[in-house]
Amino acid sequence: MRRYVQTPGPIGRFSELSLAQRAGPLDLLYTGYGLLVVAVVVASYVLGAFGWLPDDPQAINVGLINAPPFTSGHLLGTDFLGRDLQARLILGIQAYFLPGLLAITISLAGGSILGVLAGYKGGWFDTIITYFDNLLDSFPRLVLILLVIAAFKPDIYYVMVVVGITGMPVIANLIAGKIAFLRQMSFIEAAHALGLPAHTVVLKHILWLNCRALLVIQATLGMAEAILVETSLSYLGFGVQEPTPSWGNMVQAGANYFLQGNFWPSTAPALAILATILGLQLLGDGLNNLLEGKRRK
Amino acid sequence: MDAGTLLAIENLRTYFYSRAKRAFIRSVDGVSLGVARGETLGIVGESGSGKSVTALSAAGLVTAGPGVISGRVDLHSNGTRRNLLDGLENYARFTEQDGRVMAVEKDERGWRKHSDRLMAGVRGKEIAMIFQNPRSALNPYSTIGKQLVETIRLHTNFKGEREAKERAIHWLERVRIDSPGLRFDNFPFGLSGGMCQRAMIAMALSAEPSLLIADEPTTGLDATIQSRIVDLLAQLKTETGITTLLISHDISVIQRLSDRIAVMYGGTVVETGRAAEVLAPGATARHPYTAALLASIPSAETIRRKSYLQAIEGEVLDTIDVPRGCRFYGRCNRVTEAIRENCAGIEPPLAEIAPGHKVRCWLYPAAGKA
Repeated sequence: MRRYVQTPGPIGRFSELSLAQRAGPLDLLYTGYGLLVVAVVVASYVLGAFGWLPDDPQAINVGLINAPPFTSGHLLGTDFLGRDLQARLILGIQAYFLPGLLAITISLAGGSILGVLAGYKGGWFDTIITYFDNLLDSFPRLVLILLVIAAFKPDIYYVMVVVGITGMPVIANLIAGKIAFLRQMSFIEAAHALGLPAHTVVLKHILWLNCRALLVIQATLGMAEAILVETSLSYLGFGVQEPTPSWGNMVQAGANYFLQGNFWPSTAPALAILATILGLQLLGDGLNNLLEGKRRK
Repeated sequence: MDAGTLLAIENLRTYFYSRAKRAFIRSVDGVSLGVARGETLGIVGESGSGKSVTALSAAGLVTAGPGVISGRVDLHSNGTRRNLLDGLENYARFTEQDGRVMAVEKDERGWRKHSDRLMAGVRGKEIAMIFQNPRSALNPYSTIGKQLVETIRLHTNFKGEREAKERAIHWLERVRIDSPGLRFDNFPFGLSGGMCQRAMIAMALSAEPSLLIADEPTTGLDATIQSRIVDLLAQLKTETGITTLLISHDISVIQRLSDRIAVMYGGTVVETGRAAEVLAPGATARHPYTAALLASIPSAETIRRKSYLQAIEGEVLDTIDVPRGCRFYGRCNRVTEAIRENCAGIEPPLAEIAPGHKVRCWLYPAAGKA
């Protein structure tokens, strides 16, 4: 059954309807959960950066190894060396937070430039981007990252530059597609006819007003991607090295004790990864529905 | 041209290139037009006759290659004369054979840069444009108020946020938008097509340009809205006295707004003169194409008599393969044996048959003398 209800208040002012009036309940749930995850991650990053941790993440306590949650003094239990899991989880955010921001900055900036060139200028820019896209698509990303690690050094920032660059074509394509769509409408031409300078048209009317929602959505998805890459690499031992905690190497370290029944030390960081990535993905999805007003796919 | 001329287009040629046919599309092929200060020049013709491209060329908005290849567009403003195509011939070289362009070499980037330099301070400020489908001519993600304020701050001395907003609301009032203070914060999708066109007109006029180019301003609107927009344009014309280049395929719109008319066919002007003369009912001295156009609009008479409308036989001229003779020859129903040879073989000149009334047709003896 579908209900049709007129919104109270001034009619036809779509922009002033509250989010709840514009969106379906699921979109709000997704976005709300996603925003909560982002808030927790950012707050934890700040806590970790200032060292305001519930416990010393490096303090070894051999008397209390692989403790379950809610052990006194250790809310989330301890790992195989008796280190506090909660503190290590919070500190583990340091491993991906800034590198992830670097990756999405690179992919958003590069993708926007390429997308605008392809969509606005067209011609051979379009061809270059298609080839670039095909090239990256045909090359497994993890192999590329391992190549970079082998060629330079196992630094997470090097890896994130690769993640950023490989994320560019997706955004470039989306923006080029958006511009192609906008071109059917004549407002870009009209803006030129009104004498607006080209940079105003591109930066304000195309990128800011028409692509900002798309960029925010891609930023959340890009962050999820970056976290996944960081944790996978750390899990494989190519990323952050013990004793510095990362969610990836925590899962790996805990996995050795998994079959002995101590599933918690690796499950806790795994759940953290799951919750975070799910949150970012759902945030992207929810924002897409709220801001772009249509379902993906 | 006389001293009152605002815009003079001389022998303008704008070609496009069809990759599929490896041939030039001669969209505008030697058009000369003059718009006097304060008058409205209506350009009428079928789709594909080159009327819009003429206007876009004059405003420097043709982006597809090879685009404008030759001609002059003189804009007389502030006591000076500027050729808006000045020096562009250095960027496009064409080779001719038997008077027909066979190849064009064009430095597209240099051309565009130079054109942008020439048009700086002209586009939007001196020459403003309104388009068909007003809803898509406005940025969907910005309110009409913000867009209006943007052009006002760009082109006028109302630079402050507050005064620009006041000015914007003043213009929304001028174009008869109800409760402009409220509409100011509306997005284009919240407004009807007619309202969007009004907002567009406000944006174009807010810079107080010397010339307004209205490219099919009523196309894509409902019939009732069309007539309201035409009324609005007529009112604004008497209020502001703005010079207008009006382009439409709708003769009734042209008839109501224009002082002078140019009828275009196949990339050339076939008839030009005062509106009253060119479209005078029952007049015999006119180009066969104009006569056919007039016969194809339903009049009260044809509706009352339930007679069939007269369609123009044949198809619009394919401007790729332009015939040697008169461009309308293939569809003309007034060719007489006496002139058939001329019609088929030689393009008639635009000859003056009465003061200010020029026709491009062999039917009129003036053509032979010119």
